[in-house]
Amino acid sequence: MLLNAVIIILREVLEAALIISVFLALSQLLNRNLWWMLLALVLGFGGAYIYAVNLSTISMAMEGTGQEVLNAVLHSVIFLALLIFMITVPHQRHQQWRLINLVTIVLAVITAIIREGSEIILYIKGFIGIPDLLSPVLMGSAVGAGIGLSVGVFFYYLLVNMRKSHGIWLGYLILLLIGGSMVAQAVEFMIQANYISATTPIWDSSHLISERSATGQLLYALIGYEATPAPQQAAAYFASIGLLIMAAGISFIFRGKAS
Amino acid sequence: MAGPPVIEIEIKDHLFFPDEVRIPADTKVKLLVKNLDPTAEEFESYELNREKVIAGNSEAIIFIGPLPAGQYPFFGEFFPKTAQGKVIVE
Repeated sequence: MLLNAVIIILREVLEAALIISVFLALSQLLNRNLWWMLLALVLGFGGAYIYAVNLSTISMAMEGTGQEVLNAVLHSVIFLALLIFMITVPHQRHQQWRLINLVTIVLAVITAIIREGSEIILYIKGFIGIPDLLSPVLMGSAVGAGIGLSVGVFFYYLLVNMRKSHGIWLGYLILLLIGGSMVAQAVEFMIQANYISATTPIWDSSHLISERSATGQLLYALIGYEATPAPQQAAAYFASIGLLIMAAGISFIFRGKAS
Repeated sequence: MAGPPVIEIEIKDHLFFPDEVRIPADTKVKLLVKNLDPTAEEFESYELNREKVIAGNSEAIIFIGPLPAGQYPFFGEFFPKTAQGKVIVE
């Protein structure tokens, strides 16, 4: 039970911690103050709790596809926040752009916490009536959360201690991969809910790196690795990364002209 | 228009009943998973690319397929030691 709790919480925390740490580091590198983080954490956990306690109602909404639709929306919101973040970064001299930029960071962090936090709350809540299991589960959860947060802290210090330009580029690269992964996951939920018709996986790399393995799980959190993605998922992944690069590039070219 | 065939799976004491589900190849199927335990469970399958949290004492719908013949294991992520099952496509 304990080990299982470690793994479950680690998986959930890892993804949110990665998004948060990269945004924290980029905020630091872009000379932003960090008060927003506290606000985002409080709102995120509040939202996660509301999602968790209403899960069965949400699940049965929209003919039983409410959970998939909401998750797809949450993943899409993170992607849109990343997109607008990347567009607004080159225009930091303008007060309005700076404000929009900050809003996108707060929104992405809140949404990531709602998505991952709700599953953590549901998982732990189930054990409250079972005293024998509650304490190993809480212990395991604390260890899992600790490891996940450590990875976040590692990425944060890696980025802020690199040469500033390198740190910003690496942060951007991680955001691109997170963006692709978010859209691919949104498409996966739409397939699961039968809004998009599934077809045969475009490739099968499960014999090379299984999604069950530690490597597979880590790659899933870092780059959205799937061993057997549907063609639509793979297309969405690469197209969304392409869109982010294009939008960031165009915005960078016009950075001096906008006012 | 008739929707895809519905197959019921129950979760009780962190076990799937039935733990083997047979479905025809190349056919879309609607799984109705009823969680009779008070604890939440997450229906998860890497082979089927599916994950869905099911709150305690409630149910969920998961569409799978159309799939080629083969075996597709699934498990309950919250209680993986006992909650194990597979979809057999034939």
